[in-house]
Amino acid sequence: MVDAVAAFVAWLGASVVVLADGRRGLALGAAISVAGMAVVALDAAGPEAAASVALGGVVAAAGRLRSGRGGWHIMPAGSTPRLVLCIAAALLALWIAAALTTGPAAPLRFTAMVVIGLSGARVLGADEPPILFTAIGLLALAIALAAGIGQIAPTPWPFLAAAVIAGLAGWISPRTVAAA
Amino acid sequence: MPSAAVVAPVVLPILAAAVIAAFGIAGVSLGRTAAAAGAWSSAVALVAVWLPVRSSLELLLGQLGYGSALDLRVDGVSFAFGLMIVLPAAVLLTLQPRTWPEASISLLGVGAAMAAVEAGGVVLTAIAGGTAATVAVVLLETEDPAAPRPSWALLLAGWLALSLVGVILQVGGGTAVYSAVPVATVTAALFALLAASALLASCLLPWRMWPSKLWSRPSLRAAGISIATLYPLGFYLLVRAYELGDGHYPSPFFNVLLAVIGLATAFAAAGRAQAAATRREFFGEVIPGLGGFALAAVALGTPLGLVAGLVILATASAFVACLALLPDRAGLASMVTVAAAVGLPPSIAFGGRVLGIAATFEAGEFLGLVGLAGAAAWATWMVAGARAIGLPGGRGHPASETFPRVAMFIAAGTLLAGPAIAAFQLGFANPVAAEVMRSSAASLGGGPTSVITVSSVLPAVTLFAPLLVIALVAYSLSTTSAIKTQARLPLFKLPSFAAVDQARAALRSAAVPEQYRSILNVRELEAAAAGGGMVLWLVALVALAFAVTR
Amino acid sequence: MLQPEAVELVILAAAALAFAVAFSPPAASRRELLGKGGVGVVGAAAIAAVPTFEGTLLALLALGVLHSIIGGKRPLAVRLRGPVVAVTLLGLGAFFARVQGPEVMERFAAVGLVAGLAAGVGVLPYLHPIDPDEPLVSSPVVWLAFAGPVLAAVIVQRAQSLLPVDAAGAFGAMLIGLGLINVVWGGAAAWLTESEAVAWRYSFVADWGLVLCGLGLIVADGQRAAIVMLFSIVLGRLPLYLVALHAPHEKVVTGRPVNLVVAAALAGSAPFAGFAARLLLLRAATQLFWPLAIVLAAGMLLWLPGSLRLGRSLGLPKGRQAVGVALVLAVNVAAGLYPLPILLAAHL
Repeated sequence: MVDAVAAFVAWLGASVVVLADGRRGLALGAAISVAGMAVVALDAAGPEAAASVALGGVVAAAGRLRSGRGGWHIMPAGSTPRLVLCIAAALLALWIAAALTTGPAAPLRFTAMVVIGLSGARVLGADEPPILFTAIGLLALAIALAAGIGQIAPTPWPFLAAAVIAGLAGWISPRTVAAA
Repeated sequence: MPSAAVVAPVVLPILAAAVIAAFGIAGVSLGRTAAAAGAWSSAVALVAVWLPVRSSLELLLGQLGYGSALDLRVDGVSFAFGLMIVLPAAVLLTLQPRTWPEASISLLGVGAAMAAVEAGGVVLTAIAGGTAATVAVVLLETEDPAAPRPSWALLLAGWLALSLVGVILQVGGGTAVYSAVPVATVTAALFALLAASALLASCLLPWRMWPSKLWSRPSLRAAGISIATLYPLGFYLLVRAYELGDGHYPSPFFNVLLAVIGLATAFAAAGRAQAAATRREFFGEVIPGLGGFALAAVALGTPLGLVAGLVILATASAFVACLALLPDRAGLASMVTVAAAVGLPPSIAFGGRVLGIAATFEAGEFLGLVGLAGAAAWATWMVAGARAIGLPGGRGHPASETFPRVAMFIAAGTLLAGPAIAAFQLGFANPVAAEVMRSSAASLGGGPTSVITVSSVLPAVTLFAPLLVIALVAYSLSTTSAIKTQARLPLFKLPSFAAVDQARAALRSAAVPEQYRSILNVRELEAAAAGGGMVLWLVALVALAFAVTR
Repeated sequence: MLQPEAVELVILAAAALAFAVAFSPPAASRRELLGKGGVGVVGAAAIAAVPTFEGTLLALLALGVLHSIIGGKRPLAVRLRGPVVAVTLLGLGAFFARVQGPEVMERFAAVGLVAGLAAGVGVLPYLHPIDPDEPLVSSPVVWLAFAGPVLAAVIVQRAQSLLPVDAAGAFGAMLIGLGLINVVWGGAAAWLTESEAVAWRYSFVADWGLVLCGLGLIVADGQRAAIVMLFSIVLGRLPLYLVALHAPHEKVVTGRPVNLVVAAALAGSAPFAGFAARLLLLRAATQLFWPLAIVLAAGMLLWLPGSLRLGRSLGLPKGRQAVGVALVLAVNVAAGLYPLPILLAAHL
């Protein structure tokens, strides 16, 4: 039950990242999603993995607060397609994770699939570096989470690597990009 | 003779090319001497390897990485074709002045062509032949980019097709080595591909292709080398095909088809020759004409046909050097060359054609008709030759590149060599037949003075020597002062290719109709594909998913 | 356990970088080239070295982000799109391969992996947009030849261990299908497109078409063809592209011997490495489905017109660049005549 709630939280956070344009909205979305993913990771890969996800996510969210468009900017005008995307992605992922596929760890399957899908879609639809790097951070963590599917004792290394990528991506600012 | 010696005919010209290039880069042009040394050393090495043993000598080194070992072989076939390639090239490299890049590239071409005929298997021949083709194109472009040259795509298509033949043999029979391929692997479809690649490699087709067009170049330095190195290779493949099929093509249909193509090539060349506006145009058709006759003879599938084809090919090889050195002006050299080219009795070309026609009758059935048609084509050549003596010379070539006496010497040599056709057959052509037609080559008989076939005897010396004397007497009694250089009407007009040209022009100017351009705009399609659009990427993903799950 | 092909391709990428540093004309940019190119080599090595599929994806993501932020003319979002879409699709592909469910999931896995590979490398239908004025280090054309080969070798090898037999067949078939599309489109576009920079990109795409076909033909000769083709991309086409980038623009374009020889090398004529790769590919196709060999052989003729054009774009290399071109041609001739060492190094 906790896993199911965590999966829902992960989707909610990823959806906020999809729906937000401001730095606060992005940081909030990242933080919520990471919280959900950390709980799912705890069950799937152990405390080291969960800690890595949480730490990477927190660093990424903190870094996001430093740069980007000010304010929240959650669901600005014209964001209806994004909202539809979030809901549709959730329904599709739920159907696949719970009905189409079999075996334990349905929340893990749901979380991995929906976060990978939503963060990938966010990169395709966005132009601003803060949004892009926030989505990339989530994508990295979700990829690590997917490594736990179908494995009895997943190693924490992918989670650690993903956390490093997510943390660093969160601190890349437009100024860094321009200076390079 | 150590087996490692078989690499010498291939490596020596390549080494010479490297030395010439190294000195050239350093600012020292080694000139004709080095180029000649490279080519002649290859010829000498080939003779030195073959003559002492007069049987197959093979060098087999390790695998190269594409299913073939480094397998080089000197046998009767590679000896004959090697000489056809290297001798004219050596003559031209000795006499004609070249820049060091041209000399270097020419020698690379010679080395590659020698590798093609020494290669032990189909795949290696394809690689070496493809290299020779590439080098020839580079050489021709280096000399004069504006002058006619073979279509690179056409040459590449031929050698790629041969590569495909090689890999099919490797996959189907476990090997593509000529002497080891299981006969059952050589199916009709595979042979059709091999024959097509051979025809493309030498452009043995009944319309005007590069073996004819190259002679219209302003300079004949590169043309001579290119034809010398490339033209024999297609025939080489058709000869080796007998070895692959244990002395036969997979079906008699292929013998007939190839003989008809050869005849058509010879007749088309004769038709163009008799309508030529200049003597150089006439000479341009000599090699395709001889090649057509040679193809018709080689394709007959009998040892006698093969021998006749090789004699004609060797004559063509001599003419490559002769025509490249011949100036475009009237005189004794031109007249002798015309006489030799059309196969005036008792030249060796005459002897070769006599043997070829005899072979068609011995082969019987439909091939007898090929012999009759061949005689008609030959007659057309005779008329064309008589007409060509009085034609204007042509556009001319740089004097430094022409050597009328040497050209006349070569042409006269082919005339005088007629009585020696039996010896030529014995030493040069019979080993080829013995190599590729092991089961039936014993039917070839005779000695240095006569050719004995299944049904008749050609006493070459006793028949041709008096003919030669008569010809010399006739010439000494005649005068050339009556010959006037002027434009002459052709014997018959060639069928018009205007319709073909019109169709080609229409195809080239084909465009999407105005009203449909908004639907099919290739430029916009390209922009959409390259634009990284999200919609296109998603559509591609859906299409892939649909394709594999339906 | 390191994959030998990937290790070899990393070494080849390092050699290509060394070539670029040694033979690129603007001396001032060498340090930048070495620094940023070195990071690229390390990134490619990381892709090859990480032991898990997800690790590979994370390494790809990191390399893609680094490649995107080092500058360039294109917007950041455009630069990031390729690698991120690749990681997304590959991640979803791996997801579908790992879950238990109906057979269609395995097919979806194959789709995700093939599409992700195409997006990661930057071939059709996931071409990365280019800007002709893009700096060398951030160019997607260089990515095609620098990071793409290692990525393809690693992804294909690991995908085959992820997928069951039936889905592996679909995976191979899709690679061949995409390969043929890239061959035809790349070959024709390299010939007909107006911009020279775009023509160079399409020539890489056409070569990649043969690589994809080789990887899709699940026989040893297919893998061999792919590795030799990748060799000719990394140590043939890429260095020549680098020389062409810095060639002075000529008013009258003429074909000199060197341009024709370069054209022959680019077209995969004998005796260059491309011809050996084509031979191996024809062998592989003949083993599996001979009509495919005919189609491939016909498609191989498409290289010639585009290559003639690209060969001319080098102009007349002088000094250091002439030495570089001669070196590239010599290496490609050696590899074309004797590709066995390349194959042995890759344990193929």
